Amino acid sequence: MSTAIDLRGVRFTYRGAARPALDGVDLTVAPGEFVVLVGPSGAGKSTLCYILNGLVPQFLRGRLEGSVTILGEPAAGRKVSALAEKVGLVFQDFESQLFSTNVELEVAFAPENFGVDPAEIRRRVRECLATVGLTGLEHREPATLSGGQKQRLAIASVLSMEPRILVMDEPTTDLDPLGKEAVFAVARRLRERGLTLVIAEHETEEAAAADRVVVLHEGRVVAQGTPREVLTRADWLEELGVQPLGAAQITARLGLPPALTVEEAVEVLREAGYRVDPAALVELRERDRRRAAALGEPVIEVRDLEHRYPNGVAALQGVNLTIRRGEFVALVGQNGSGKTTLVKHLNGLLQPTGGEVRVAGVPTAGQSVLQLGRRVGYVFQNPDHQIFAETVYDEVAFGPRNHGLPEPEVQARVEEALAAVGLTGREEEDPFAMTRGERQRVAVASVLATRPEVIILDEPTTGLDYREQRQMMELVRRLNEQGHTILCVTHTMWVVAEYAHRTVVMRDGRIWMDGPTREVLAREEELTAASLKPPQLVRITGRLGGTLLSLEECLHALRKG
Amino acid sequence: MDVYLYVEGNSPLHRLDPRPKMLLVVGLIFLAVAAEHPLVPGALLGLVLAAAQVAGAWPALRRVRTILLTIGGFSTVAWALLARGTTPLLGPVTVESLLYGLGTGLKLVATIAGSVVFLATTKNEELAAGLIRLGLPYPVAFAFSTALRLVPTFVGTGATIIQAQKSRGLDVESGHLLERMRKHIPLVVPIFAGAIRSANRLAMALESKGFGARPRRTYYLELRMGPGDWAAVAVAALMFLGFLLIRLTGWGEIPGLHR
Repeated sequence: MSTAIDLRGVRFTYRGAARPALDGVDLTVAPGEFVVLVGPSGAGKSTLCYILNGLVPQFLRGRLEGSVTILGEPAAGRKVSALAEKVGLVFQDFESQLFSTNVELEVAFAPENFGVDPAEIRRRVRECLATVGLTGLEHREPATLSGGQKQRLAIASVLSMEPRILVMDEPTTDLDPLGKEAVFAVARRLRERGLTLVIAEHETEEAAAADRVVVLHEGRVVAQGTPREVLTRADWLEELGVQPLGAAQITARLGLPPALTVEEAVEVLREAGYRVDPAALVELRERDRRRAAALGEPVIEVRDLEHRYPNGVAALQGVNLTIRRGEFVALVGQNGSGKTTLVKHLNGLLQPTGGEVRVAGVPTAGQSVLQLGRRVGYVFQNPDHQIFAETVYDEVAFGPRNHGLPEPEVQARVEEALAAVGLTGREEEDPFAMTRGERQRVAVASVLATRPEVIILDEPTTGLDYREQRQMMELVRRLNEQGHTILCVTHTMWVVAEYAHRTVVMRDGRIWMDGPTREVLAREEELTAASLKPPQLVRITGRLGGTLLSLEECLHALRKG
Repeated sequence: MDVYLYVEGNSPLHRLDPRPKMLLVVGLIFLAVAAEHPLVPGALLGLVLAAAQVAGAWPALRRVRTILLTIGGFSTVAWALLARGTTPLLGPVTVESLLYGLGTGLKLVATIAGSVVFLATTKNEELAAGLIRLGLPYPVAFAFSTALRLVPTFVGTGATIIQAQKSRGLDVESGHLLERMRKHIPLVVPIFAGAIRSANRLAMALESKGFGARPRRTYYLELRMGPGDWAAVAVAALMFLGFLLIRLTGWGEIPGLHR
């Protein structure tokens, strides 16, 4: 047996779908190889992962053509449970793949199903927990772990079957930057032990550690090669809808030898004589300052805010924050640092247990969510937690109708909101049938329709691919330019760098850093302490004399001499 | 949000095999309801509270204390007023009816508190493993324990959905009944749509972990009956015996009581 995975002419069409999800894929993976699959939403990454352990076509039905060979044996006609022992599969959503009430039982579950002897299971539990760095947490309830720990537990719970191949479908989508790194650290450790690894990802920085990167687009393999061969084609990847690496982007645009990592890019740029032009930097800082000076009066004032949950746990302590009219603020921090708890105080979903929150000068205490909702709109993270109507029109009209507006006014508001999110003309469509990116925009429109001054967005880019993330953030930027005050909770750091004027970092229920984005992102060590990592371009330019936030800024301010 | 009653610990009650522990709870329920007189359920409640002390199960009991006090208090008062006796005490309340009310209230409180202490000291999986060893088929036991496991997830998602719709101005508290029911549609639709989606993902994850791969699966939690466990079986057996004795001899009836 010379190949771990061998796909020949694989084409798969989900039952009831018009187009094939995979359309003639040829892919061979050698034993021990580490392959990263990249591509935009709908490229077929998940389908490809599911084919490898038989979920497609055994569980998710449809028409499969071509040949699938796993570890030298044809997969056709084999049950998922027969393939699963050889091909472990980790899903994106860690909540729905953990079923036990404590960590060690979670890891024991799969080998129990395969009838492994209890003494052997005990050994595997110990070993797998050590591999993913969760030793000592055996008796914890999975629900009490952090996002990154949950995903590492999900990996351990699959490793305990001792599969020869491990497949992960976007395992880091919901994780903060250090959580992502920890998952990839586990992947590298497994690869050293000779496990074959296939990881689907839409963020590319971690893919640089792979042996091979495979680019999928519309169900086909459109490029493959070493990370260096593939990821250095930054502009081409961006056009496909895959996030390019900052290091590759800047070196390509300046016509320099390609770089993949921060260190490489710094070296290449230095050698070519580039540095951040001090005059240009002064100019950029001056622009930041003028923008800050032009802001209006405070619209949100948080004073000594404390929030204790009924079980006594203090989620927020001594939080002070003033947001001015027209500001664009990013609120970042590790999962569980208190970001969401803080913003839920701003529209009255939570009331302070100490201190005070004022919106437009009036304390929120005693005001209902309905009253506050006229000024403060809140877009929840997952659009599926709010979409209920049969048409886009009714979904967007929900807010204005709740506020008691007359129907002609409601209609005008819906039209305006749909125009703002680029969904004009789709009023009669069923929101449930739209893509995730479109549903997210429907959710934003449904909040815009009540014309709030302040818009809170909780992780507006989660679950979207690079192109959709850009579209969403361009929309948010336009809203800000039209005068809306924006508060965006996120852990997507390039979004912070490119869009937010001011960045507030939370850690353990307190405000850890607060300042202009350029200044906050320059303080790498403090960010690391809050489990955050600035994007590549920011780190590269920070080593070349000044912090630049976007490719445009780099092209403007990086000069020879 | 935490809806589990389990309290992590390593007390003798935690270590007790789930099978005799289940028997103890069943024995407790039988014995508690055997007599009319409050003495027996009162003594059993004392035992349950002592067990809660040993197991450190107070956090679980504290969470149900409102329910316990309401149910206990309500039955005591209701039966004290409704039942008839021969020795007047105050208005319609007689000594007999008060005793009977106390007995009924204590029966309910002792059995509920006993079950709560059981859940506070028994993990989901132990409960499932115990049921399997007592003859329940594995898929049934798994469905049972997974349903328990999913409750917090659904409660959490439900809470988020309510907050999301409230943020868009939904106000389910005002309006007359029909209107209020109509207002729940924006909550019910996403909850059900979400439940279907997560059930599907759960099924995929189960398949991928080899659920049902072999006709015989093994169990990581090995249940072995030690001397303490057999002692618990004996105690449970004594409780049944007590129940039979009380029922056969008619002991513990309150003379002069008419329900």
